[in-house]
Amino acid sequence: MLSLARTIAIGAGVAVLWTTSVSAHHSYAMFDATKDVTLTGTVKVFEWTNPHVWIRIEVAGANGALEVWGVEGQSPNFLSRRGWSGKTFKAGDKVSIVIHPLKDGAKGGQFVSAVLPNGETKLMTGPSLP
Amino acid sequence: MNARVAGLITILAAGVLAPASTTLAAGPSMGPFKPADWASLAQRPDLSGVWENVGAPLNANSAAKTPAAAEKLAKYRAATAAGQIQNVESANCIPPGIPINMAMPYPIELLITPGKVTMIMEAFTQVRHIYTDGRALPEDPDPTYNGTSIGHWEGDALVAETIGFLPETEIAWGLGHSDKLKIVERMRLADPDKLEIQFTITDPAVLTAPWVVKINYKRRRTWGIREYVCAQNNRHNFEASGKTTLDLN
Repeated sequence: MLSLARTIAIGAGVAVLWTTSVSAHHSYAMFDATKDVTLTGTVKVFEWTNPHVWIRIEVAGANGALEVWGVEGQSPNFLSRRGWSGKTFKAGDKVSIVIHPLKDGAKGGQFVSAVLPNGETKLMTGPSLP
Repeated sequence: MNARVAGLITILAAGVLAPASTTLAAGPSMGPFKPADWASLAQRPDLSGVWENVGAPLNANSAAKTPAAAEKLAKYRAATAAGQIQNVESANCIPPGIPINMAMPYPIELLITPGKVTMIMEAFTQVRHIYTDGRALPEDPDPTYNGTSIGHWEGDALVAETIGFLPETEIAWGLGHSDKLKIVERMRLADPDKLEIQFTITDPAVLTAPWVVKINYKRRRTWGIREYVCAQNNRHNFEASGKTTLDLN
């Protein structure tokens, strides 16, 4: 997924490329950007809210028990100019989400990419749309 | 030349020259405005519109810092690298002030009206009022997040001067300021769709020389400014002690 993100970024030419490390709101120091974790499961809630969108996804844990993870994305303001909407995720969607996990080990992380039920890959970064 | 013709020439000359004066003739005014006040705006480059920051985030590296400011910045960055959130105020939804808030991945909008330029910053839903009606900067304004501003035109550039910032704001992440901070902005159109804002930042307490930094903006004809209410769903809470809590539920 990261290589896909980079390919798109290079293709964007002169457009500004805000990376996942840039936020209006807070630094991303609490997330481990060196690690990718893939969460495959069912969307419980999608919060299309400022300052960050949040996806809560239910996945099968190590012992098979279901657990809920919280995934933080950029803001609706930022994402709506990059092809997202408040309907990008819906409760009940079967999706796969790659995150940078929280350093403290809690069940959460920063959104990197997702594969939607229709097979579309959704990224958070890249050039803004006209 | 008879007196009547001379008088007419004087009137015409005044009409031509009026737009070149820096302000409304009558001094500080918030209206009501006359047709001539609106007409005079047409003589200026049209800076109005929604502008996307197409530069990079501000980076304090290019600022000439006092040793104390440099040391503080280094500590800020080291702590951030170690996983501790340092921009506590903004993480708790307190706006960071300018110029940081104009260097965001969010657009600004300029509205040009007689005697005033209004800047709407989407980040944190902030508004700046830059008075171009000839008033002077107050000597000791109440400190605010975005300061107190006046402006005037110099040729094709709108020049804004701003003082009076709250101590918790920063001029770049990790670079604070004193009550001597002054920010001068030169805003001009490099072309009809490209706005350049050059900041000249002076503060003898943290900078050993004026810090000059430019941000480029691209006109976004189809965009509107969106609401950004940070307190809507802020799941982070950063305490001054450095403790971070995150509500995942």
